[in-house]
Amino acid sequence: MTTLNRAWGHLTLTGKVVIPLLFLALVVGPIVTIFLATVVGPWLADVLGANPEIVRFVVAITGVLLFSIPAAFIIIYMELKVIAFMNLRIGPDRVGPKGALHSVVAGLKVLTKEDFTPTGADRLVFTWAPVIVFLTAVMVFLVIPFGPGLVGQDLNIGLLYLFAVGGMTVVGLLLAGWSSFNKYSLLGGLRSAAQVISYEIPLTLSVVGLILLAGTMSVYKIAEAQQGWFTDWYVFRQPLGALIFFIAATAEANRTPFDLTEADSEIVAGFATEYSGMRFGFLFFAEYVNVFIISALMTTLFFGAWNAPIDINSILARVGLSPVSVSLDPGSLGIGLLILLLVAPVLLTLIFAAPFYLSRSSRPAWQALVLGFLVFNLVGVMLLGLLAYIGWPWMAGLTWFMLKSFLFVYVFVWMRGTFPRVRIDQLMGFAWKWLLPAALLNLFVTAAAIIIVKS
Amino acid sequence: MSFIPGIGLVRGMGLTLRRFFQPKATIRWPEEKADVAPKFRGRLQLLYDEYGTLKCETCFQCAQACPIECIDMGGMDTKGRFHVHWGAAETYGERREESALRRSGRTVADPMYARYEAIDLAAVDEILELHDYDPKGMLAILEETQTAYGYLPVAALKHISRMTGAWYATIYGTATSYRHLRFEPPAVETAAPAGEAQRTIEAGYRSALDAALGYGGGRSG
Repeated sequence: MTTLNRAWGHLTLTGKVVIPLLFLALVVGPIVTIFLATVVGPWLADVLGANPEIVRFVVAITGVLLFSIPAAFIIIYMELKVIAFMNLRIGPDRVGPKGALHSVVAGLKVLTKEDFTPTGADRLVFTWAPVIVFLTAVMVFLVIPFGPGLVGQDLNIGLLYLFAVGGMTVVGLLLAGWSSFNKYSLLGGLRSAAQVISYEIPLTLSVVGLILLAGTMSVYKIAEAQQGWFTDWYVFRQPLGALIFFIAATAEANRTPFDLTEADSEIVAGFATEYSGMRFGFLFFAEYVNVFIISALMTTLFFGAWNAPIDINSILARVGLSPVSVSLDPGSLGIGLLILLLVAPVLLTLIFAAPFYLSRSSRPAWQALVLGFLVFNLVGVMLLGLLAYIGWPWMAGLTWFMLKSFLFVYVFVWMRGTFPRVRIDQLMGFAWKWLLPAALLNLFVTAAAIIIVKS
Repeated sequence: MSFIPGIGLVRGMGLTLRRFFQPKATIRWPEEKADVAPKFRGRLQLLYDEYGTLKCETCFQCAQACPIECIDMGGMDTKGRFHVHWGAAETYGERREESALRRSGRTVADPMYARYEAIDLAAVDEILELHDYDPKGMLAILEETQTAYGYLPVAALKHISRMTGAWYATIYGTATSYRHLRFEPPAVETAAPAGEAQRTIEAGYRSALDAALGYGGGRSG
């Protein structure tokens, strides 16, 4: 034992870290792996094989949680950059290329800040309120179809679930405001609750006409019903409904011009006044996840979900061509696949590097190689993306869905860069005096139209 | 257009979209530097040496060189009680000589600031009286002074400055910015002759030049 002690004492600090890690990796790791593979693995496989729904749920919730983080980062960066551009500024440009990592660094900053709880605050509620706000935002993702087959859970009451879970945000906001032990927080919480509840009604009513048309509450089926040309999208059958949904959703997500809940230039930060550190980070994050959700909902319900605006197959059929289809089966290449994977990158890098090297004699070889490698990656990613787009319908669906959703995110950011904030009485008056009657009118007209067409 | 409800919102959105594509005004300091005028000299400041004494020797060169007279010499007296101003800006040239004298013990010869010769100022006084000592009519005053003397003597300009209250630098600036005002008597008194007369004068110049260069006349053109 003394030998071991002495040997340990001779180690530098790095060695003291590395040696235990090596021990873990070389001794403990294999043992645990063998144990898992022989004992736990088969049992787990049996259980999961018997219940594929559990697997689906776990995979979906993990995917949704993981997806929400980069989505929020991208939206935060987009907002900074787009509003800056509209103000004739450049915006963040220090971290990463064109400042693309700015929001990531901002997230790290939030993580390192002091997590502060005010004296007299209801500690438990104070801690859990941001989690509720964030989780409601993430849970809504479960029923949103990202592409054909790419849906967490195809609930037959999907829209109801959507509004029910989305409405739970109010609970989180109220709890956050109440538990902060601060009159400004409380007022801000009540104010945002009043706003969100008021706009919940026209939001829900605006979709009822759509439910009548589609005959289902499943979000997935509504998305499927909009297949074909872009004229089949529900926005052309429910224009008023789409407009009301858009306005009400803006208010639901607390976006400009309805961002009174945390009007950053007027009042203290509303219900988030006392929040700091990662708890504030959760509230902030949830806000941007909400932006993506309302964009995704606009896309799904009114703008054709994952469907491309042009039905390319019908055009091809009219011209007389058969639809393009690629069967991706790399396994059929056998050992050739392995050789291709090994040889193709090197060969293609060299091929792409050659013109760079030959075009200018002063260019060093390593620069040409780097350029060739970059071009190879670019071309490779583009080709693979194209193949995936043609070969897999879910990939094409995901592409269109993301494209449309981020277009709407852009519109929300654009609105934030343009509109001034409304006053609280104007906000409430607009919801109750204009949006609600308009939503009811939309519902009645839709119902009447359906009866007339059916009879 | 305002009778369509919501048109303002659409126009606002259009404005921001146009701004989105316009070139940006940001200067990315420190990679890019702001574009400053070439005559920008930065912040004017008196520097201290390592012993904590002012480096300024009160030589008045900066104040005299300043084209727009924004540098002025002044300070506190030795006991720190009163603010002293060291005379009008047009005396800085003389002050500078004094300063150089004080520092080195001898006068620095500088023909640029040689004492101007005294002249009879009666004509200037008459002109000034005519213009009611108004510096607004400076150009007319200067033109008439030039007619009276044939050029603008420095003594006359100083006198005009003293009587009208206009800064000497301003008067000097006015006088230098017009081509027809001159500070020295013209080389040829009469108006430039044209034609044959001009030829005669040129021939005179040429023969004088030949004599000076030692060609001795009879030089074929």
